[in-house]
Amino acid sequence: MSDSNGALLEASNVSKVFGGLVAVNDVNFSVPERGIVSLIGPNGAGKTTFFNCMTGLYRPTTGKVIFDGRDITAKRPDLVTKAGVARTFQNIKLFRTMTALENVQVGMHSRMKARVTGMVLHTPFVKREEKASIEKGRELLNFVGLKRHGELAMNLPYGDQRRLEIARALASDPKLLLLDEPTAGMNPQESEELRQLMEKLRTERALSILLIEHDMKVVMNVSDYITVLDHGEKIAEGNPQQVREHPRVIEAYLGSQA
Amino acid sequence: MEAASIPEQQPEPEARTPRRSPGAYVWDNILPFLLGAFLLYFLVHDFNRSFDDLKTGLSNGTIWALIALGYTLVYGIIELINFAHGEVFMIGSFVSVSVWQALGLTDTTAAGVGILCIIAVLPIAMLASGSLNVMIERVAYRPLRNAPKLAPLITAIGMSFILQNVGLLWRPTPDSAPDLIRSQANYFTVFNTGIEHSDVFAVVVTVPLLVALLWFVGRTKYGKAMRATAQDMDAARLMGINVDRTISLTFALGGMLAGAAGLIYALYNGVIKFNQGFTAGLIAFTAAVMGGIGNLKGAVVGGLIIGVIQALSDDYAQPVWTPAIVFAILILVMVFRPQGLFGEETREG
Amino acid sequence: MSAALATFRGNMRTVRGAMPSWAWGAVLIALAILYPYITDNINLPILGGHDDLLDASIQTLGYIIMALGLNIVVGMAGLLDLGYVAFYAIGAFVIGWLGSQQFPDINNSKGIHFLVQSKSAISHQPIPGIHINFFFVIFIAAAFTAIWGIILGAPTLRLRGDYLAIVTLAFGEIVPRIFENSQSGFFGIGSIDFSNGRQGITPIDKINFPWTTDTFKYPLELKPAYWVALGMVFFTIFINRRLRDSRLGRAWIAVREDEVAAAAMGVNLVRTKLMAYAIGAAFGGFAGVFLGTYNNTVNVDQFEFGFSVFILCMVIIGGMGNISGVILGAIFLSLVNRDLLPQLNTYPEKIGLNFDVTSINFGIFGFLLLVMMVLRPEGFLPSTRRKLELHESELEDEVVAGGAMEPQLYEVRHE
Repeated sequence: MSDSNGALLEASNVSKVFGGLVAVNDVNFSVPERGIVSLIGPNGAGKTTFFNCMTGLYRPTTGKVIFDGRDITAKRPDLVTKAGVARTFQNIKLFRTMTALENVQVGMHSRMKARVTGMVLHTPFVKREEKASIEKGRELLNFVGLKRHGELAMNLPYGDQRRLEIARALASDPKLLLLDEPTAGMNPQESEELRQLMEKLRTERALSILLIEHDMKVVMNVSDYITVLDHGEKIAEGNPQQVREHPRVIEAYLGSQA
Repeated sequence: MEAASIPEQQPEPEARTPRRSPGAYVWDNILPFLLGAFLLYFLVHDFNRSFDDLKTGLSNGTIWALIALGYTLVYGIIELINFAHGEVFMIGSFVSVSVWQALGLTDTTAAGVGILCIIAVLPIAMLASGSLNVMIERVAYRPLRNAPKLAPLITAIGMSFILQNVGLLWRPTPDSAPDLIRSQANYFTVFNTGIEHSDVFAVVVTVPLLVALLWFVGRTKYGKAMRATAQDMDAARLMGINVDRTISLTFALGGMLAGAAGLIYALYNGVIKFNQGFTAGLIAFTAAVMGGIGNLKGAVVGGLIIGVIQALSDDYAQPVWTPAIVFAILILVMVFRPQGLFGEETREG
Repeated sequence: MSAALATFRGNMRTVRGAMPSWAWGAVLIALAILYPYITDNINLPILGGHDDLLDASIQTLGYIIMALGLNIVVGMAGLLDLGYVAFYAIGAFVIGWLGSQQFPDINNSKGIHFLVQSKSAISHQPIPGIHINFFFVIFIAAAFTAIWGIILGAPTLRLRGDYLAIVTLAFGEIVPRIFENSQSGFFGIGSIDFSNGRQGITPIDKINFPWTTDTFKYPLELKPAYWVALGMVFFTIFINRRLRDSRLGRAWIAVREDEVAAAAMGVNLVRTKLMAYAIGAAFGGFAGVFLGTYNNTVNVDQFEFGFSVFILCMVIIGGMGNISGVILGAIFLSLVNRDLLPQLNTYPEKIGLNFDVTSINFGIFGFLLLVMMVLRPEGFLPSTRRKLELHESELEDEVVAGGAMEPQLYEVRHE
């Protein structure tokens, strides 16, 4: 259930202060249902910090985050995931010594219900659930284009690792997917594949996506809406065309001489 | 990696560090409040007795302070608990007593000769312990610098056991140190409490060492290198600091202090045994944590506080409870205030 | 790296490939069951034979259970616990309370009995004290110890590696001390004698099957005790394997690998860690009961820091997280403990049970630990995972892209 103005995620007046450093300063932000929104800005603008504020890794100094009508501000990360928000990480945080499939299975943790007694006794419920988790895992891996299900995560090539992160995030059946620089380190072809994947996610799985990205081609092509941060503050927002031509955005990226 | 930055114009944004409520202020400082209240209670309750405990505790505490400094120096620089540090202290005691015994000193040795031998042996004990600590680092910690934190901790335990075994083989039964300072004799009396030779001795040896250490760490180039490495090892390396040598130096210093503590302990306590390091190590570590691990001043204050707590506990409760009380304090501090008294707030609020 | 792994696996296959794996399992189980008959007929150098060897083997079975328990905490969930001896102590004291004459006044000196012999064969008077059948006590103790696992584990949840280690060590020191000082009242509260101080509680009831009042006759007749212990070991292995391959097992490994990512994937860190502590502790209590009755005494001298390290060594040397490896590690270290014992026992500090002459052995253990960690931190038979983790720094060069570095940017919040 979304609230009255139709936004799936609504962040208001979010700030994050570390000691004397203001990393995020009074940012208002929203993501509509089935929307793809990008968050861009120069390095150090506070984008990942903002992500972390929304997913419970940081407690915002001020502000509120409302998701799907519920207040998730400063909730524990696993509760945020349970509520339907999943994320990937800027620096890949896969479980390196688990296989790709196992990584995805961990992603399903909050949706599985097996209890210790059941696990020990191998009750039919648990057996079914495990089997289903394997099937779902394989399906997700195939969806993102990962073929080596039994390969250890750390042995996967970089592009596959990024894909695995996404598959793992999808495993919790989220309504909102936060992707932190998903195309970092990818070549143009891989980036394009990822962009197509994001479109698929929106259409086939009715997901909203919030994206931190530096690859402007991807951003401009995939976003419905872009918000620009610089030095922790929102300096511009709008559709790709508007943002592309916004003077402050140009200044932030290129400097004020141009 | 994102780095936060300060916005250029600053109309004061509302999102500054929020003002703390009085309750939060009390909570932040609850540890010193509690300690202060605790001490006050006992002093009021029975001044003479408590003051005597206070005196005992403070002089005992100097020994813990010296050992705690070793822990804190090492932890500050490589974020590792030197599990074998207690044994380094024990070896300091053993070396001191062995040299004195070799020199034929006894309880009746003339005071002048005794003092001379103490002065002579102190550097020996410090050197022995210092080198031992450096060797430990070289053998047990350096090869594992990049391994997950579990590995060096395990090797540290291994090292501790090996050294205890050495101690055991060296002196299977407790041994007594010659009473070179006539430890029980009174110097003077304050508030009805006798200040004995041993108390004075402990302070007289410890204070100069502390001063020297603080000067070294704060004022010399080597100390600066230590502090830089403690803050950011990679940056220090980039600045041309030989990080390996700096770490060795840190271990050397910590070891030397432990060696001095060992010598003091031998004369103060009179009796030494192979497993004195295990208990002493835990107690001193508690002191270091209470003071704020990584903080030199904190280690000293922590040592003194723990000494006082021990003395009060031995007196008012029973000696059997004291270890449990000290460990309980360790647990409470680590859980509720891991930064100790003087450490920085490390947890995100 | 995957090439090396494949070769490793290939090598293993040639031996294992001789029979399907279930057949190997059956062979091992059969050997384990028939083992007492084997020991009856051998007398090896160093190892000894007959009852001596069987006795040592029975003790080892107890340690295996504990090593598997600690394996859950340290090996799977990655929580460095240096105080595991506390759980052994708790389990042992449970049978000290529920299987001896420690509480002679209870029930008007008539005692409480459950599925045990309630009247003395000689005097035909009811035996005072609480006496509950062994097979119930082991589960009662497991549950009780599990609760303590949670209680002692809860404060440690926010702590990192070495801090965690020290706090668990402190707990491992406090718990036996509390028992030691509970001769009049529990640590001074009340007046019941819970532990008989330093003398300990002895004798402890012998095991009897619930359907009969005939008790086992160890140390005269060891075989039944061996088989009971073996049964307990099989039970432990069974549970470990089921958990390892389950949702919880995966959660443990995820927590060990990367807490932040695990939480982001929906793993409740607090619950997962507490589960590890609880279940790990339960096995400590489980084994503690058996060893308590087998040794016929429960005495604080049996519970020292050295024991925690002993069990930890088994987990580490055997390869953390790897069930078979840990079992092998337990057997190996028990051998080392038992056989170097007489060799080096020239300077006994204390006389007593196995662990009191530990100081000497610990020099050896210490050395072993040192060597292991420096040369082969993953143990003898590491779970493939652990091997990869520990050699990761060597592989860092091979890992693709700059994105693989982990800045400590995120701090983890637990509620």
